[in-house]
Amino acid sequence: MKKLTSPYTWGMVIDLDRCTGCGACVVACQAENNVAVCGKKEIAEGRNMHWLRIERFWVGEYPDVRVRFLPVLCQHCKDAPCEPVCPVYASYHNPDGLNGQVYNRCVGTRYCGNNCPYAVRVFNFYSHEWPPPLDNQLSPDITVRSRGVMEKCTFCVQRIRRAKEEAGGEGRMIRDGEVQPACAQTCPSEALVFGNLADPKSRVARLTRSPRSFKLLEDLGTHPSVTYLKGGGREHV
Amino acid sequence: MSEFSGQTHGDTPAAKSAARLNDEMLSSMAPPTWRWYALAFVLGAVVAWGLYAFSYMVATDMSCTGLNRPVMWGLFIVSFVFWVGLSHSGTMVSAILRLSRAEWRRPILRAAEAMTVFSITVAGLFPIIHLGRNWTFYYLIPYPNQRGLWPNFRSALLWDAVAITTYIIGSTLFLYLGMLPDLAIARDRSSGWRRRVYAVLAMGWRGSAHEWSVYRKASTLMAALIIPVAVSVHSIVAFDFAVTLVPGWHSTIFPPYFVIGAINSGVAAVITLMIVIRKAFRLEEYLTPQHFDNMGKLLLVISLLWSYAYFVEVNITWYAHEPIEWEVFSFMANRYTPILALMILANTVLPISTLCFKRLRRSIGVMLTVSVLINVAMFIERYLIIVPTLSRKNMPFMWGSYFPSWVEISIAVAAFAGFGLLYLLFAKWFPIMAVADVRELKEREAEVRLGRAKLPADVKDEL
Amino acid sequence: MKRRTFLQLTGMITASAWLSGCRQGNERLIPYLVPPDEGVTPGRAEYYASSCRSCPAGCGILVRVSEGRAKKIEGNPLHPVNRGKLCARGQSALQELYHPDRVTRPLRRTGPRGSGKFTGISWEEGLSLLTSDLAGLLRHGTGDRLALITPELRGTLAELTAGFMRSFGSSRRLAFELLSPDWLSEANRRGYGLADLPWYDIAETRYLLSFGADFVESHLSPVQYGNAFGRMRQGRNTVRGHFTYVGGRMSLTGASADRWLPARPGSEGVLALGMARLILAESLFDRDALAANGVQAEQLLRRLDGYQLPRVAELTGLPRHVVAEVAREFAATRPSLAMAGESVAFQSNGRESVRAVQLLNLLAGNLNRPGGVYPSTGPVNGGAGSLAELLSLIGDMDSGRIRTALIYGNPVHSVPPSTGFRQALRKVPFIVSFSPILDDTALEADLVLPDHAALESWGDVVPLAGARREVVGLMQPVVAPLHDTRPFPEVLMAVARGLGGGPAAAFPYQSWPEMLKGSTARRMGLPADENFEGVWAGLLQRGGMFETGSGPTETYRPVFGPEPPQPAPPRFAGATGDYPLHLQVYPSTAFHDGRGAALPWLQQLPDPLTTVVWGSWVEINPRTAAGLGIRQGDLVEVTSPRGSLRVPAVIYPGIRPDMVAIPLGQGHRGMGRYAQGRGVNPLELVELLREGEEPLPAWNATRVRVTRVSGRGELVTAGHPEGSYRSDLVGI
Repeated sequence: MKKLTSPYTWGMVIDLDRCTGCGACVVACQAENNVAVCGKKEIAEGRNMHWLRIERFWVGEYPDVRVRFLPVLCQHCKDAPCEPVCPVYASYHNPDGLNGQVYNRCVGTRYCGNNCPYAVRVFNFYSHEWPPPLDNQLSPDITVRSRGVMEKCTFCVQRIRRAKEEAGGEGRMIRDGEVQPACAQTCPSEALVFGNLADPKSRVARLTRSPRSFKLLEDLGTHPSVTYLKGGGREHV
Repeated sequence: MSEFSGQTHGDTPAAKSAARLNDEMLSSMAPPTWRWYALAFVLGAVVAWGLYAFSYMVATDMSCTGLNRPVMWGLFIVSFVFWVGLSHSGTMVSAILRLSRAEWRRPILRAAEAMTVFSITVAGLFPIIHLGRNWTFYYLIPYPNQRGLWPNFRSALLWDAVAITTYIIGSTLFLYLGMLPDLAIARDRSSGWRRRVYAVLAMGWRGSAHEWSVYRKASTLMAALIIPVAVSVHSIVAFDFAVTLVPGWHSTIFPPYFVIGAINSGVAAVITLMIVIRKAFRLEEYLTPQHFDNMGKLLLVISLLWSYAYFVEVNITWYAHEPIEWEVFSFMANRYTPILALMILANTVLPISTLCFKRLRRSIGVMLTVSVLINVAMFIERYLIIVPTLSRKNMPFMWGSYFPSWVEISIAVAAFAGFGLLYLLFAKWFPIMAVADVRELKEREAEVRLGRAKLPADVKDEL
Repeated sequence: MKRRTFLQLTGMITASAWLSGCRQGNERLIPYLVPPDEGVTPGRAEYYASSCRSCPAGCGILVRVSEGRAKKIEGNPLHPVNRGKLCARGQSALQELYHPDRVTRPLRRTGPRGSGKFTGISWEEGLSLLTSDLAGLLRHGTGDRLALITPELRGTLAELTAGFMRSFGSSRRLAFELLSPDWLSEANRRGYGLADLPWYDIAETRYLLSFGADFVESHLSPVQYGNAFGRMRQGRNTVRGHFTYVGGRMSLTGASADRWLPARPGSEGVLALGMARLILAESLFDRDALAANGVQAEQLLRRLDGYQLPRVAELTGLPRHVVAEVAREFAATRPSLAMAGESVAFQSNGRESVRAVQLLNLLAGNLNRPGGVYPSTGPVNGGAGSLAELLSLIGDMDSGRIRTALIYGNPVHSVPPSTGFRQALRKVPFIVSFSPILDDTALEADLVLPDHAALESWGDVVPLAGARREVVGLMQPVVAPLHDTRPFPEVLMAVARGLGGGPAAAFPYQSWPEMLKGSTARRMGLPADENFEGVWAGLLQRGGMFETGSGPTETYRPVFGPEPPQPAPPRFAGATGDYPLHLQVYPSTAFHDGRGAALPWLQQLPDPLTTVVWGSWVEINPRTAAGLGIRQGDLVEVTSPRGSLRVPAVIYPGIRPDMVAIPLGQGHRGMGRYAQGRGVNPLELVELLREGEEPLPAWNATRVRVTRVSGRGELVTAGHPEGSYRSDLVGI
């Protein structure tokens, strides 16, 4: 069998020093990926469907109190804990280093959700509906997930696919910055940078080498494709 | 063995004729009384309610459960682990006792083995119930299919599926094999269509010496084979947790700990069942305090083992003091203090303090309390392994909590009722006492006169 | 062979059975050979440039349209204000288009006012109702009894409304916005003689000192400044800009600060002057800048003699050494930049405090310099006094002088009730609302003539304080109108035509797009002839005029009156004894002043700092809350001299213990299923302060008391309340 290889290893850098916590990425993700609207009850039950969330931490006490924001999305781990536990290969690794999720393959064991230390996998506890005409907004590029399946951030794989087709048609590689997931595209402060880690000259690869870089829950050995850059300064904490 | 025979005097089984033995031990198969019907009706109603709850969940969606992110597994998986644990009763106990030639085992064999089969069947339902898309459960079955996909054998859930299936098949065979001669007795004592059914089931057993010889070899072999299966099943259930990255689950002691826990709940359940059967079918003569004494000793050992394993697990976490793991444990201790205390009381304090005493081991009331409480504690233990752990996973911002919904509780309760119902039906249709085994014991304990000497009727031991 | 035939037959039968079973599904598919509607290529998305009008910042957007439906809004990379970036509000405009509760046709009121009982009518009927009413006014020569209430409009729509009202001879054209930066242009007029809005070069500054200017979420141009903030932090190789935030409540902007100075509410001006005095006293000021602007340092220092450090520390409640340290850092780290924001301006002494902050920029030489502050050449705002205009209009409405009110926007929700707006509006005999959804204002209206959604509309959007040169964004319809609605300007033009005479003459254009094209041509100095068509198409493709106008011409030159700014001691409504806590009302990150509340994406978006979803809350310092026996999620009652509200409590470590804060935006009576009856509108607590006769926009100068009601606040947060304090576990 031919081994599947790819010249791309998609990755992201999240600069916590730039992140203002505004939430633009959250809505961008929801708009791009047909993520269901969840009502108050649903979120109260812990069933929010957002693929991307901004965690907010309070540090210290008044008046020496600080806020830390941490945008968390699927880390697209190279050694993803969600992948081996899925009994039906709904969660799989693609040659680009993406952590894929095949919705129609998923039987809903939710094992991946338990084993994901980042808690970024969301489960369709509800059968979600879009009261018309809100359903007109649904993107034709992405499946609308049925109840009983897991879903999560895909790094906007539909955009990557399209960019690959276009680049392929022109017989070239995807240029740095040509493809961006919705969150990175919209981030006002440009805290999110997306690109090809396999290209050492790409912006994302250069930022990954920053001395401020760290991975989330690095000690677990999941080897995420998302690198965080520590918030600088904050010397008065 | 000697203790057992020392206890027999008066109108003992040994003194009864074979026919009377058969009558007594097969009394459970007499035509049902209204009480039987009432019980079956109540259990059936509870099962029907559970089925309704399940259908409701399938028809609507899983929002009717208490599950959420991060607690993606709840009462369904708790029940699954509990029932798998319970299934270790029978086969395991029966096989060990058979291999170790503990003669006092004979009256309880069948009850224990049947319990295994039913509890593993109930257990096997839960993983399917808990699926988000139950109707696609066959995706897990490895067979060449038009989907062109093969299940993922790296997943502990698939190991589970394999192990459980194996165990269901193995323990059913084990039960069936042991029941063969008794089915023949049932055949001989029944008429009409029942007779035809028993005839088929008895596979033409006639009780010839050759048949007995093959039978004995087969059942010993089965006993030897079923033990590793049983150990592996609960180890694999433990792998579901131990192979994950979840703090509080990711622990090397889980497989042996789970096996011990399973045997603990299994033995306790067998004791409870013995008491129930004894009462229900008036089998006081066959299930004597001696039996409870022996089972009590077994339970004491298992209880000590379990306490040791639990101590090791908690102690090492405390010593390592890994922040997030410790968070899980302190959350469990703070939020679930009452049930945690109950678990330790019922699993450790109570059994160890009571079962040390012979008098208490022989008290039916004490044994009933202890054994029931152990299973309550084992249920709590599973709950505490699953729920608080998932409530406090690595990302503190996404911590959560869980409480089962009416659907989950209904299904969990219906599982108990379903188990009871299966048992009730089984006891009515099949010999609940291992008639042949008990009679064999009688035969062996009988003495024959040879000249002046009194010799045991059977000098050859099993095997 | 036989078997194969059998299989083929079976296959055919099965397939045909299956196909017939699926007919219903097939009908929905776009046929492959028959081309669908014009311009639709299945599976291929088109992008249309437009402009966002979800807030005054006016960012450029690109709308992805697939199969004739708008799918996604993205930032327009060519637009100089937002550079391809977009905030949560802008992206949610899509749901404004596809909102399930939009008004789909004109409505006439049938029940009592506010009952929400309407009956659908045709546009002809709706327009004739309005036209005949206005004709009545004209006939009686009482055109000035017509009022037009809108949010602040800029660009061609402002011209149109002005022309419309002029033709009636009515001066009652009110453009009121609660969060309008009038105060800033007024301060600029007094400080620099230029009644404009500043453009801050945040990206290039090295020390940013914000006095309550929440530029990340609401102040002036959030996307632009959010982007600039990112560049200030990490956009330069060796420099990381430092950021200090002053304000009693740590806002979303304040949350990104390196240092937070929780100054007492109303003392910010004193703090600025204290810093100014220190900078002067220690000779840390920029001599050249002062000399160039003809300011005598010694003289100024003498005037600021009352702002010695100990007094400033006492008034602000901040430690002395911190004030001194920040002042020194600000003066020594150049270029630095001081900004004043709403929480300072909306105090009783706001006007002077804002000027005091401006003084810091002068002292540090930050005027007209990279990394400092420039004039923005956006058209000047409606100007100061719109609150005064509002109150005078309210007076007229109350006395029954106003016969007909045309209302575009939702003032019933966004005007503080203490102005008496709601009661006065009820006395207006005929109210017409143009809201695309039944919001609080439309519920009070007699006639609803629904406007198009933004994505269906033509228009031009002049970004607020967007850039140093003139930028005009264009809006074009990206989808065919979904419902039987008509654009507000078209309705005004149609009514004017229907009236004939003066009103008709005011509009030489055939249609609103024609007028838009004409005014754009005029702005570009081109004749609106056939040649312009090509230019126009190009503009629409790019999204607007981004490079017109020359470079910056204006500069800031301080014009000091005889006195430097002298902020008076702050006044508050509500006595200290009865009402011990200061109330701050602030624009919610998701809804701004409330216009985004109808959109489920925004309702679901966790508030960045409290992570609350789908509701309102009051923020209380943990110490204060403990003293009052209040825990996270408890239902509390917040009482001010004006009234009281019940709202769940959020324990908020980033607020002064003597303050509480409630976000604006919720508490709608109408506005569709997602907003209706959700949360509270804190404006109901706010008292109107006056200075003599003059009303003050002191929306943060009300005091309240808070009492616990019960444990059931029904507060829902996306983040775990305890986990939110455990960043140690994730190592950040």
